[in-house]
Amino acid sequence: MSDTLPLGLDRSLIGAEFDSSTSEPVAAEDIRAYADALGEAHPSYLGPDPIAPPTFCVKFRGTRFHHTAIPREAFHGGFDAGKDIHFGVPIRPGDVIHTRNVLHDVYEKTGRSGSMVFVVARQTMTNQRGEMIAVIDSRFMLRPKERAE
Amino acid sequence: MILDLHAHSKKSEDSRATVVGYLQWLLKKKEVLPIDGLVLTEHRQFDGETDYRRLEDEYGIRIFKGSEVETDYGHVLVYGVNQAMLDRFDFTNVRLSAQEVITDVEELGGIAVPCHPGRPTVGLCEHYEVKPPLEGVRAVELLNGGSRKGENERVEDLIRKHGYAAVGGSDSHLVSFIGICATRFPREISDEEDLVRALREGGYHPVDFRDRLAGR
Amino acid sequence: MSTDDVEIGHEIPRLEIVVTGDQVRRYAAAAHMPGQRFVSDEVARKEGLPGRILPGNMSMALLSRMLHDWLPQARIERLGVTFRGIVQPDQKIRCSGFVTDRRETDDGIELECDLILEQGGERRTTGLAVLRLGRGSSTRS
Repeated sequence: MSDTLPLGLDRSLIGAEFDSSTSEPVAAEDIRAYADALGEAHPSYLGPDPIAPPTFCVKFRGTRFHHTAIPREAFHGGFDAGKDIHFGVPIRPGDVIHTRNVLHDVYEKTGRSGSMVFVVARQTMTNQRGEMIAVIDSRFMLRPKERAE
Repeated sequence: MILDLHAHSKKSEDSRATVVGYLQWLLKKKEVLPIDGLVLTEHRQFDGETDYRRLEDEYGIRIFKGSEVETDYGHVLVYGVNQAMLDRFDFTNVRLSAQEVITDVEELGGIAVPCHPGRPTVGLCEHYEVKPPLEGVRAVELLNGGSRKGENERVEDLIRKHGYAAVGGSDSHLVSFIGICATRFPREISDEEDLVRALREGGYHPVDFRDRLAGR
Repeated sequence: MSTDDVEIGHEIPRLEIVVTGDQVRRYAAAAHMPGQRFVSDEVARKEGLPGRILPGNMSMALLSRMLHDWLPQARIERLGVTFRGIVQPDQKIRCSGFVTDRRETDDGIELECDLILEQGGERRTTGLAVLRLGRGSSTRS
């Protein structure tokens, strides 16, 4: 296996933490605003003491979304490619969410829009009691400059 | 025998379908999806290890294995993958030479079939507009279950012009899309080597079951 | 109907909606997504897009909403999506899905579902969800 990943990244970066952050306490109105924007009708998301819809966790994805070894300009013209989320306990008002971001994978493929590099960050979120809120594998698609022929 | 020649399991990074999920679905939907077997054509790899015989016996549906590789003329399905091919080509390379894949896979006992030819960038049609046609192509995927409007239709001109045979496959990455497009063969196919023989013999054609499923 | 009667192949009741630009703006704010491509047609076009787009996370959340509407008492254990194309506001969105597996657990059942979000007749987001709920629960349809 090569020691070099796409974008010239060193394979030893896989598993490297690149961000750690802690949120302010979650406000009930933030949960209701999120649910309302989606048209959610479930009363547990909208009442005075709501629990958050499970996808609310994406709000706490950290302060950096990618490892500093990846040049910022590589993300220009890129897109969110998808997510895989394992959910733990729901988020409630007053919760403080701690997020740890790790570079999980980098791979290359070709598709309709040409040559693409996918960067996968794994976000692990816990609350103030140390309970798992979510583990999210977030895939971002970059369009590297075409290699010179 | 009707085979879905193009399916991805969770071994392909962008698929969420399990093989058991595919089999359960096909069993449940057999009245509308008369699929006798499927070919797992994983992206940029070949799974030489998993033994599906127990599942074949349990569900009565054949499971064959192939690969989908990426070349300078788009994506290509490889059937009859063997160790010689794995030694010859790095299946993880997204810039393989399509001509080498077509020629050498044939020489090594397999067959390479360009897939979704009508798709931008990764389909043959667009490459043929600016590059010479490939030598030795026997068949292309006319019906791809993941193609967008107009993409499959582009392939008809390609087939007419070059005399290619036509196959069909679902390109499924979700359980509920298995078998929506497939290929009908005039005889039973026993294993991967026999699949290669059947694809070289001809006499098959793509079949379209997309309209048979509710909601589609 | 009771979830005891939900089998492989069951079609999840569809969610067909039009998401307005204002909803996208409110979602992006609520989800802390400051990208201007979600709120400004001009910025989006400069990025090569046809106009404002929905955040991928919003597409995912709409599929999640479809599940909540169907099974309000279910807990979503896993959700995985692939964003295959852009989704735009002010055009019809169709969310659909199918039950692809059903497993008995100690205290209830687990359902695995395919999820599809379409716009303009094309699949823009596809995915999978795993739901957990008690036996004998009822669905909304």
